[in-house]
Amino acid sequence: MTDAVLPTSTLRMARRRSPFRRKAFPYLLVAPAVVYLLAITLYPGIFALWRSFYQGRFKLEFIGFQNYVDLFRDETFWHSLTNTLIIGGITLAVEFVIAMTLAALVYRDPLVRGWRILFLLPMLFMPSAVAYLWKLLFNDGRVISDLLMRIGLVDSNIDFMGSTWLARGVLVVTDVWQWVPFLFIIFVAALQGQDKEIEEAARLDGARWRQIFFSISLPLMRPVIAIALVLRGIDILTMFASPHIITQGSPGGNTETVSYFIYRTGFKSFEFGYASAASVVVLVLTIILAQSFVRRFFRSGRD
Amino acid sequence: MSDGSRFSAGRTILLSVWGLFCVLPIIFFATIALRPRNEIIAPQPIYFPTISIETWAKIWAEWPIMHYFMNSVISVTGSVIICLVLGIPAAYSLARYQYRGRDDIGFYILSTKMMAPAAVAIPIFFLFRAMGLLDTVWALMLVYAAMNLSIVVWIIRSYMIDIPHEIEDAARTDGASDLRILWSIIIPMGLPGIITAAVIAAIFAMNEYLFTLIIASKNAYPLSVALANFSGGSDGIIYNAIALVAFLAFFPALLLVILIQNHLSRGLTMGAVKG
Repeated sequence: MTDAVLPTSTLRMARRRSPFRRKAFPYLLVAPAVVYLLAITLYPGIFALWRSFYQGRFKLEFIGFQNYVDLFRDETFWHSLTNTLIIGGITLAVEFVIAMTLAALVYRDPLVRGWRILFLLPMLFMPSAVAYLWKLLFNDGRVISDLLMRIGLVDSNIDFMGSTWLARGVLVVTDVWQWVPFLFIIFVAALQGQDKEIEEAARLDGARWRQIFFSISLPLMRPVIAIALVLRGIDILTMFASPHIITQGSPGGNTETVSYFIYRTGFKSFEFGYASAASVVVLVLTIILAQSFVRRFFRSGRD
Repeated sequence: MSDGSRFSAGRTILLSVWGLFCVLPIIFFATIALRPRNEIIAPQPIYFPTISIETWAKIWAEWPIMHYFMNSVISVTGSVIICLVLGIPAAYSLARYQYRGRDDIGFYILSTKMMAPAAVAIPIFFLFRAMGLLDTVWALMLVYAAMNLSIVVWIIRSYMIDIPHEIEDAARTDGASDLRILWSIIIPMGLPGIITAAVIAAIFAMNEYLFTLIIASKNAYPLSVALANFSGGSDGIIYNAIALVAFLAFFPALLLVILIQNHLSRGLTMGAVKG
């Protein structure tokens, strides 16, 4: 029956559609999304570049590359970059270790669905709410100090905002608490998707749990780990809500991230030209990172 | 065998410790929402406060919580609709056609996910000011949609790739047009992917903070930024209002995530990990 239908219908289709329309069709499907995204990425990029050559709030004055010269001499800008890398690097490493440990412990557990929902809960709060929660626990409500005093680790209230490393630690804990689930869920799924029989065979050969995990499961997960860390890394490098709500850069700008730097110079000091120059620098860094990392990892994850 | 059970006990303890670390702050936060203002910041933290919902009436009377909630609902729903309308055809194009530049277009869409919100915040602010859209839910809707479009396209694309070609081929030989095939075969069969993408886009939109902070200044406050403004002079930060609003956003998110829990890992990796 299909044999009989096929020739006439293909003929009809060929007649109905010009070659041009056939070729253009997939482009037309993707075009609206691309145009929309260009409007929200290309346009801001060009605007930021243009604005970065000017100073002033209302009456704009062309100053050439002066904003960039100032920016590269500005210690607070470099400081915000190194802060972002330090805080981000520690956060990502801690989250990775915890999430991988939990995933390895849980993935063959009969109660895995229950654990998964339980561990997922922190991720479902708004980041701004989580920032306030930890601001309350660490600082305003002194809960953490109180608990540490009760178990006898310290004997007076700790001023978490008074020391660079404590304040950075607060940001790390806040992010870890909320976002370990993100990596955990991905790792559990990847481990569950692995062939059970390879593990069984290794076990029958006398391999211990540790050996199986480190020499079989973990290497098989490499592409997944790469993608998960890149996605989480992007989010961590653009960390904004918790510095804005909890530390506001204190003490002495040691917790100021790049995102917070741009926000502060733009929307607190209203130096839009200067903040635009910083935006352009961040955009360029982003493009370099995207080209070198994301492209490769998402290739490997393709079908 | 005894080694196995010792391992199992240690495992349960470790998992329980992390479980408590997840849950105890949430429970504490819940009691914050339920306690009177003077028991929130005390010389000594109060772990067993007087529980009452009387403060809710006060919070509800003092702040237009329902208005904030509706702003969230409208801006998030609108953004998800924009994402689906633009994203489904784009995903179909990337998943089903061979053409020049396809991979570059796909990568460009993906790369917009990497943009630091702060880096485009200033141009976006001036753009919406020029359009007269500052402090409106429309601006929030447009920004959330832009922010999530890349994720939506890639998630849906991943599910569409998995749909077997045979059904489409049969329909095509019966004379169905490409758009017809998208509408009556690809969309229904890719529905799990579309729902997953919609849920994840909705949660991310609900969480958005930086763009929302610069766009909304009072009228358009959604929940994520409204809670940053619960502070009243001598009262300081009004934590019980913050906690109340936090849970108001938490429960819908929880329901949505339970709905897609088996697709979560695939959604969060934009389709790269099939869980």
